[in-house]
Amino acid sequence: MASPLLLAPAGSPEAVRAVLDAGADAVYVGLEGWSRGGARRELGWDELVAAQRQVASAGRKLEVAVNTIPKPRERARLFDCIPALLDLGIRRLIVNDIGILSALRRRFPDLQLTASIGCGAQTVADAAFFRDLGAHAVVLPGTVGPAEMREMRTVRGISLEIMIHMVEEFVLLGKCWMPSYVHLKPSRLPAVLPSEDADAGDAPEGSQRGLRQTGSMKRGGVGACFKICQQPWELYASGRRMAARLFPSRQISRIAEVTAYAQAGVDVLKLQGRSLPVELLAPLVRRYREAIDAGTAPAADDVPPAELPAVWAVVGR
Amino acid sequence: MNHEPRAVSRLELNTTIANLRDLRESDLRDYDAVYLGDIYCRIYEANFLEQLGDLKEGLRILHDQGKRAYVTTYAAPRNDFLPKVRKMLEVSAAAGAQAVEIHNLGILKIAHDEFPQLPVHVGGFANVYTAAGAEVLRGFGAVRFTPNYELSLEEIQEITTACDAPMELLVHGKMPLGISDYCFLLDYEEKWGVKCPDLCQKELFVKQGDWAMKSVGKGILSGKDVCMLEHLPRLLAEGHRYFRIETVSESPEYRREVAAVYRAAVDQAAGGDGEVGESSWETLRHHARIGLCNGFYFGKSGMDYAGIRPDAIGSLLTISRAES
Repeated sequence: MASPLLLAPAGSPEAVRAVLDAGADAVYVGLEGWSRGGARRELGWDELVAAQRQVASAGRKLEVAVNTIPKPRERARLFDCIPALLDLGIRRLIVNDIGILSALRRRFPDLQLTASIGCGAQTVADAAFFRDLGAHAVVLPGTVGPAEMREMRTVRGISLEIMIHMVEEFVLLGKCWMPSYVHLKPSRLPAVLPSEDADAGDAPEGSQRGLRQTGSMKRGGVGACFKICQQPWELYASGRRMAARLFPSRQISRIAEVTAYAQAGVDVLKLQGRSLPVELLAPLVRRYREAIDAGTAPAADDVPPAELPAVWAVVGR
Repeated sequence: MNHEPRAVSRLELNTTIANLRDLRESDLRDYDAVYLGDIYCRIYEANFLEQLGDLKEGLRILHDQGKRAYVTTYAAPRNDFLPKVRKMLEVSAAAGAQAVEIHNLGILKIAHDEFPQLPVHVGGFANVYTAAGAEVLRGFGAVRFTPNYELSLEEIQEITTACDAPMELLVHGKMPLGISDYCFLLDYEEKWGVKCPDLCQKELFVKQGDWAMKSVGKGILSGKDVCMLEHLPRLLAEGHRYFRIETVSESPEYRREVAAVYRAAVDQAAGGDGEVGESSWETLRHHARIGLCNGFYFGKSGMDYAGIRPDAIGSLLTISRAES
């Protein structure tokens, strides 16, 4: 049984250092303006360059999330960034749209592309679809247990990643338009490459670089999601107020099932949490590192509850 | 490749019906086509997608009425759904379904690999945001597309211009906003004394101030009804021919009366007359419990209304009636 790789999040240069020290095999970061993490948890170009040097010198891998869905005009700008990423030695991108995935596959065959958790894959047939589309890997949510992953493993030719530590909100990732139903606000897309700042000149806001649709999970970013699922709601039945409630959500932390996932053939254990502060992120990564390295499966009736301290809950991803 | 020509002149008004009881109670005279099945939940009352004898009968009824008969599929399946999905596709193909609507990419692959004779309509949960995405799905047999609900008419037009993909647009009814693995209504079985599958057939809204969404258990829909009645001339001018009135969670009366309004309006608009009579607005306001909106078609938040009939929103009236 091969040990799965541990893929850790980082939302800042400090977090990159911390997760490497804590034992991550690979690190994923958001590219400013193009990831669902929101601007506060993305890396600017200079930070990305530094992160790649650091990760490469540690002999690990850096993955870059470009998991919003750009409009057609913006897509050209995104594609302009790819050669620079390749020049840095970055080969792995996490994407969220089948059109982008397919186009990147054709245009940049050296890239290894991961179908993000926002692609909504949950079944063996979904995994096969993304394999056929040319994805190198697909991310499944932590709601998919080891037994289901064993079925998934019957699909060959694609790497399987499980988001083993994540928040499960009521609505499935990639299938939610509640925030934008309430509020949608265009906001300017930031520059990525240093040369873009010089090119922008005095152009009207948004005209050169395109617009993020703040409020849209797919096109804006979680940092700009209004989290209306976490608001208190009143439930009415046939016009009568029946209850005040929150939509159900929970923290999934399946650390007790690390070995079961490994035995099921999972290739990568991925942690959600670009928003976590370094002082919480590092011990979280270390705990998973230790669980992987322990490498022995507890007896089925001896599995402790899959819980971690509450401070490790991923708030806003 | 089986492409549905976008330039087809025939207009189509279609809707969704979840089970045989609802189908038998519905007057479908103003519809051209019907999708059978509930995409959210396997245990929805006698869901066509689970009751395959009912599905055959439903397809026969539609054929007998001269309607185009489509079948929809689950939007968020798990592995254990797939054997049933395969059987359902097999029954649909054998019983003469004219297309299958697919929201999930794995089911799309199954349909493409195992039932290539079934034309595929891509549903709104498949996340078609760009022409590039539509082109990918065409490669898997898709001939018609419901774009993601977040897209504006301008963005939809960019897709049709780029790849000539026939679009199906939600023109009226509650817009899907999300889907879950869980039904929180089950929390209330004991308290309310109502069991599944009757729970989600109550008229259920979650509200916070002016915000409202409709719950159908595992699905969340817009509280307001999307209404494109006064914008039909623009939709026709932009080449759209396939229009959905979403009634999966509505009564047969809603289904019949809203369709009558749109049938008349579409026929008028096709003849160059975009005028909408007051009685049509009255009908739509009567059925919209929370009010009317345009979805995302005008690049605004989904619950806004744009148009020359701002009073079409009517939200205060309808909310007060619902709660009185």
